[in-house]
Amino acid sequence: MKAMILAAGKGTRVRPITHVLPKPMIPLVRKPVMEFLVEHLKAHGINKIMVNTSHLAPVIEEYFRDGDRFGVQMAYSFEGDLIGGQIEGKAIGSAGGMKKIQDFSGFFDETFVVLCGDALVDVDFAEVLRFHRERKSIATLVLRDVPPDDVSKYGVVQTDASGRIVRFQEKPARDQAVSSTINTGIYVFEPEIFQYIPSGVEFDIGGQLLPELVRNGQSIYGVTLPFAWLDIGSVPDYWEATSLLLRGKVAGFTMPGNEVRPGVHCGINVQIAWDRVHIEGPVYIGSSTSVGDGATIIGPTVIGSGCVIQPGAELRECILADYTRISSVAALEQKLIFGSKCIDPSGRYLDIEESQIRWLMDDARNKENLSESELLLFEEVKNLAVS
Amino acid sequence: MKLAQRKVGSNIVLEVLEARLGADKVEAFKDAVGRHLAAGPVSIVLDLSKVEFIDSSGLGAILSILKRMPKGCELVLCATTDPVTSMFKLTRLDRVFTMKKTVDEAVSALSL
Repeated sequence: MKAMILAAGKGTRVRPITHVLPKPMIPLVRKPVMEFLVEHLKAHGINKIMVNTSHLAPVIEEYFRDGDRFGVQMAYSFEGDLIGGQIEGKAIGSAGGMKKIQDFSGFFDETFVVLCGDALVDVDFAEVLRFHRERKSIATLVLRDVPPDDVSKYGVVQTDASGRIVRFQEKPARDQAVSSTINTGIYVFEPEIFQYIPSGVEFDIGGQLLPELVRNGQSIYGVTLPFAWLDIGSVPDYWEATSLLLRGKVAGFTMPGNEVRPGVHCGINVQIAWDRVHIEGPVYIGSSTSVGDGATIIGPTVIGSGCVIQPGAELRECILADYTRISSVAALEQKLIFGSKCIDPSGRYLDIEESQIRWLMDDARNKENLSESELLLFEEVKNLAVS
Repeated sequence: MKLAQRKVGSNIVLEVLEARLGADKVEAFKDAVGRHLAAGPVSIVLDLSKVEFIDSSGLGAILSILKRMPKGCELVLCATTDPVTSMFKLTRLDRVFTMKKTVDEAVSALSL
């Protein structure tokens, strides 16, 4: 069976992470969110996967290649141009992206699945397909009930008793919403839908294609079933998703590495004296990382590979990208260190260079000397604040 | 360096009227605060509510003022914005300074 993963978004709400990584490549604990999706599709026998790429396309394409490593076949539909050696993304919308592929080769010649690359889902596709076929639907949406306060973030739908969708609302105000059932962006389609998508223009599934289908008298259906749905659409969402995974709240997720202490998972080649550090799980420590004596690490925390946690450093509820060095005077609480930024769960961030805090946190491979004033402050803080 | 000052009892409240306390401002900042200390022993409340950005040199400057405080006099920081509070916590300097949420709390901390 065939699928399409939508991966051409710019990820503006996950900046600054998405300056370097496209949203589908943002790691949940250690694995890009899209890798979970590919594995999940494969487990349901969906093994021919098209991916539309745009912003930072090579990061996705070079990771998944032809899909062989993941036991599936994968290919890409790039939306943009190479200008002066630089990739410039020019996304054409979710439906526009599907149409481009269809115009190219007629790839979608049977029932197919579409999902967003930026949410971890474990939806039972067998069940969704059964529902879809029973109703001879040409478009089936996977729905979910959310708290009424959250409806304004999503596309809201109203269904009748058979599951047929009778009304759409795009991000309604709470008191205007006709229901608290939302479109999760997971779809099953028949190739007939392509008659309703114009070629060569930007076109969206939720905002344009679905209303167009309804306008043309097509019956489209929505199915509500329980499944895990971890959206990483924004920095707070990403924070929450990582925390849920680490705390074991997502069924089917297994922590990477070996559990070396209760709640503490570790990669290989880690340098640490367990009796001389204070660690409270859930914590993951990446391979080839060193943790100095007297360090404190309180979970939920993920430390990447090749990190250097200097003696006495304090980390509470943090996510550190690979090759992060945390100095012995630093005390980090609820920080995400990524791409030379120190990011709060709210999305607010400090630029490490601009704030001159390389003496607190830095790329572990950066051997550039600290400035005199930074060194001076490091020494003073060490004397004053570190017991 | 813009600094608003007012006396509260025998103490001074200094409000930093700059949005950024970085390398280009620290010398002027240290001089301005230093002038108040030169006039005689006094406790200082430093109101940082207008400061949205501070870098290492800004932290260093405030630390240097702490070290210059005369015996029996205190330096209390207050009303730090989120980015500034974050810098004090990251560096553990929040454990070195007395920090209060509001000017009023800072002033009462002095009179206790």
